[in-house]
Amino acid sequence: MPANDDRKGVPRRDFLNVAVGGSAAALAVAGAYPVVRYLAPPPGRSKGVVRVGELERFPVGTVHTVLVDERPVLMVRTADRLRAFSAICTHLDCVVAYSAERRQIECPCHGGVYSLDGRNVAGPPPRPLEELTVTVDEGVVLVSPAG
Amino acid sequence: MSTGDWLADRLGWTRVEAYLAKRSVPRHGFMFYVGGITLFLFLVQVASGVLLTLYYQPDAAQAHGSVERIVGEISYGDLVRAVHVWAGDLFVASLMLHMFIVMARRSFRAPQELTWLSGIALLALGVGEAFTGAVLPWSERACMDARVGSELALYVPLVGAWLRRLMRGGEDVTSNTLAHAFGFHVAALPAALTFVVAVHLFARSRNRAGSAGATDVPTIPLYPDFFVRLAVALTGVMVLVLTLAIFVERPIGPPADPRLSSALGLPPWYFLPMHAIVRAVPGELLGIDGPRFLVSAACVIGLAVVALPFIDRRGSRLTAWLAWIALLALILVSVRAIT
Repeated sequence: MPANDDRKGVPRRDFLNVAVGGSAAALAVAGAYPVVRYLAPPPGRSKGVVRVGELERFPVGTVHTVLVDERPVLMVRTADRLRAFSAICTHLDCVVAYSAERRQIECPCHGGVYSLDGRNVAGPPPRPLEELTVTVDEGVVLVSPAG
Repeated sequence: MSTGDWLADRLGWTRVEAYLAKRSVPRHGFMFYVGGITLFLFLVQVASGVLLTLYYQPDAAQAHGSVERIVGEISYGDLVRAVHVWAGDLFVASLMLHMFIVMARRSFRAPQELTWLSGIALLALGVGEAFTGAVLPWSERACMDARVGSELALYVPLVGAWLRRLMRGGEDVTSNTLAHAFGFHVAALPAALTFVVAVHLFARSRNRAGSAGATDVPTIPLYPDFFVRLAVALTGVMVLVLTLAIFVERPIGPPADPRLSSALGLPPWYFLPMHAIVRAVPGELLGIDGPRFLVSAACVIGLAVVALPFIDRRGSRLTAWLAWIALLALILVSVRAIT
């Protein structure tokens, strides 16, 4: 049989190269995909309503930091109500703190400032602090993620 | 036959020696040794890092205490940790210096594209090592840098959300962040570094002739002349590392507490330019989120750097100037952030 150079269609060598190469690439992608997904876990489920303590723990005019689902939350007690704000700065995720001197919430990382009602009033933060829902049930304070 | 002769005979040393002596390298000043110094610092990191894993506990409740124990109780633990911290800083510094020198000498030109690309990959892996390593003591400072660093990653176009989850081991900075950082720091990144170093050296040695411009520079034999010079340089580096490790303290800092506000202070020096710029930029810029604008700009610059051998094929003088100007600008911005 003569060499198959002059036959029509795809040469056998090219066909095999593409078939083997393509199969190898497909295998590599199939192997890499689960790894890529494994490296970055999905968001965990929120525990829903979290009990943060008795109402007496938060006297009028004070700001406390509590943990809700491992996340810091500011409990702001004013004359008329108790509010909860995520203590995570909306700029770059630092943990903010209450300054009793200046009566405002401050982020030490990049100089962001929030008022006691969570509004971003100075510095780089683009949004107000996220507010969480507070309910008081028979003297016990419960916090649940907003929305 | 002496033991030395026996070993030399079994290894075929005379042939190796003859081969090495035949190869020659251009005779350059100090800058030519920065690559070798960087590789040496990587080896120092592997050795000291392996020692640290013998006592370090990658667990959020115990990590900080275990580092304090290494420094306070284990014989020479303070020295091993200080060497790892200082050599790590010098490793990142020499990676960067190496890149700027190659840019300025325009040694990235064809046929050295692969050397350049693998070098940039090494720089990225090295910065990854520094970032994950800084998390491991699980101090206040460590947690905060992990938070800000991964939050900035969120703004990387296309893969941002995935990248942040990758860096945090979840949506938030938790004990999982530490486990992730540990795995990457001691296993995944060093393995990748070792492989890419091999590619880098292979690509470099294959195409020596095309690099460093003119061919009429005087050369010296690879062995013994170059090796002896390199040995002198490496001894100097080791003296520097030990001097810093013994005389300049690197405090661990207080342990992380998720309720406490982030610590005041500065991130590691290689994040200082980013820190200074992030602080200065308002929440919104040209209608885009401030951080998103910055990170996108950084990504564009990063891509341009990666593609440099293909953008600037001939190696123009402009690139050399840009390299020095960029280095100077980074140093100035860093100094401003400190003062």
